Amino acid sequence: MTIETPRFGTIEFEEEDVLRFPEGLLGFEECKRYVVLRHGEESPFFWLQSLERAEIAFLVADPASFQPEYAPEMPPGVAQLLRLTEETPRLVYAILSIPPGKPELMTANLAGPIVVNVAERLACQVVVEDDRWSVKHPIFEEVGGTDQNASTAA
Amino acid sequence: MIGDDIEIVVLDIRGEQVRIGIRAPKDVPILRQEIYAQVQQQNVEATETRPEDVPE
Repeated sequence: MTIETPRFGTIEFEEEDVLRFPEGLLGFEECKRYVVLRHGEESPFFWLQSLERAEIAFLVADPASFQPEYAPEMPPGVAQLLRLTEETPRLVYAILSIPPGKPELMTANLAGPIVVNVAERLACQVVVEDDRWSVKHPIFEEVGGTDQNASTAA
Repeated sequence: MIGDDIEIVVLDIRGEQVRIGIRAPKDVPILRQEIYAQVQQQNVEATETRPEDVPE
């Protein structure tokens, strides 16, 4: 199967590649089917490309890659929706936002992570009520701090 | 009561301020509406992200 997208041109995919969101994403409830595209060969970034609305795609990454202590509590009901058991391999993605032309201001939505049951290709967005994790968690804040220390030391 | 098992309780009244609590079974998610609204708004904002702005 193929889909024409404004960002990535023609994408080929198989039915077994499709990630299903039974409830969609908040604000995009009508978009229930996505494919996951790697941004670049070595890139930690992926795109969730909607199959229902070709203009909709979300940049995502594993939050553990920039926030190692991030371990949000799963709200009740998620395990059932995603058919998760204790042993089920799962992935967590954070949706990233970059204001146009300003990659240094990239933020991650840690209050609304995406949880994936890898084997079943089922996913949902959960809402995490935890004051530490905001919808606009800055990615480069700590990197910037390190740079500053480095230049002071020099 | 909301349904059979969700209860709204008044915790405290001080002057014009009322503190309200929700009593519900453990498997019922209780979330503040504004967090949902924030996540929804952020999803909309996230769709403006352009591939050319993604760091290598």
